[in-house]
Amino acid sequence: MAVAMELDQLILNIAGIMIRELKLEDVTPETFDPDLDLVDEVGVDSMDLATVALVLRDQYRVRIDEDDYPKLKTLRLISQYIHGKLAAGA
Amino acid sequence: MAEWTFAALTAEPEVRARWERVRRYFFLRESTYDMTRRCNIRCEGCYYFEGDKQHAAEHGDPDAWRALMRAERDRGITYVVLAGAEPSLVPELLRVCHEEMPLGAIASNGIMHIPRAVGYRIHVSVWGNDETSARIRGARHMLARQIENYKGDSRAVFVYTFTPHNIDEAGDVVATLAREDCKVTFNMFSAPVGYSGRLRHTPESLARTRRTMTELLARHPDHVLFSPYNAVAHTHRLGLHDLFGCSYPRRNPSTDLGLGRSFRQYRTDLEWDRDAACCVPDTDCPDCRHYAAGSAVVTARLFRHATDPDTFRSWLDYVDTYLAVWVVDYTKGRNLCERMTAPPGFGLD
Repeated sequence: MAVAMELDQLILNIAGIMIRELKLEDVTPETFDPDLDLVDEVGVDSMDLATVALVLRDQYRVRIDEDDYPKLKTLRLISQYIHGKLAAGA
Repeated sequence: MAEWTFAALTAEPEVRARWERVRRYFFLRESTYDMTRRCNIRCEGCYYFEGDKQHAAEHGDPDAWRALMRAERDRGITYVVLAGAEPSLVPELLRVCHEEMPLGAIASNGIMHIPRAVGYRIHVSVWGNDETSARIRGARHMLARQIENYKGDSRAVFVYTFTPHNIDEAGDVVATLAREDCKVTFNMFSAPVGYSGRLRHTPESLARTRRTMTELLARHPDHVLFSPYNAVAHTHRLGLHDLFGCSYPRRNPSTDLGLGRSFRQYRTDLEWDRDAACCVPDTDCPDCRHYAAGSAVVTARLFRHATDPDTFRSWLDYVDTYLAVWVVDYTKGRNLCERMTAPPGFGLD
């Protein structure tokens, strides 16, 4: 349960980062659907993702490998990826 | 060495301002289009007349081009590169493209003037001095004709392509262009597949080209659109694919995001082939050092360059150069890193 809560909070935090960095309009961390396809439904591209990856690196001290970008299709998948790396490093 | 955070890399106001400036253009999504099979000159080593694309039927119907541009816009393309054979021979098609897609560039030999109504960047190809042009392009007084057509035209950038045989001519040609207040950038001859001619670069010619580029950048800073990192990236013994991993579909199997997903290279029959899609098709990929390729390939590697101040500044200089070369009205800033920086994971040579 604690881990699930932690992931939910991470999704909110990362949603906030994406909204700020990518200047997304008409959405808040609370209303950001974590299962939207970032490329097809949000309009994120590789440069956007690289920018977010750099900010996440700062924030969580977690490196997102460039080869992993294609797997990170949704906010939930990004959050799970970061969550997994944090757990592995803990 | 301690890892630099992105926040620390962008903390200096000058760097932060450049980052904010260039990132406004991350919306650019390009595809390329062969406009016509015809050309008014024939150059040795011309990419258009390599491979199959020269045999595609020519589709000269403006309505068909308009429909294509609208469809391209609908699938998210925001930037078009119009190439050849020679696009200036089909001005009506250029006008239609510009009406539908306001951002783009035209690759032209510069012999015929493209009407002002077509507000794209125009890349005027220069392959050496007039003697060399007459020999390998079969055209006389080439530079004078190009300058006459494009002097004072803010759309134009002259693209000097270095071969092993025109390195020493670049100084005079660039000085002439600077005197006429024309902007210049640099390209590298990159061999087409199977090419065994004398224009393929050697380690010695790559080193000499790098020195020449650097000298000309220092000598004509207001007219040469380039940076030390551009010189490194394009004259390295390794080509762009080996240094950075080419993002174009021909070398990039991923269709998930980026150029591998969006880029198409249309032939004159308005068809395209994913297996051949590339900014300059039929180039021998291990030898690819094209300026057009680098604009996408190096720029896409933001994450790799966010490691230390010099590498990040060099990347910003590269992106700043790319935007100045490709986007009308984007003015290049001064380079932030004046020293040679190695591509991430590689040495300088």
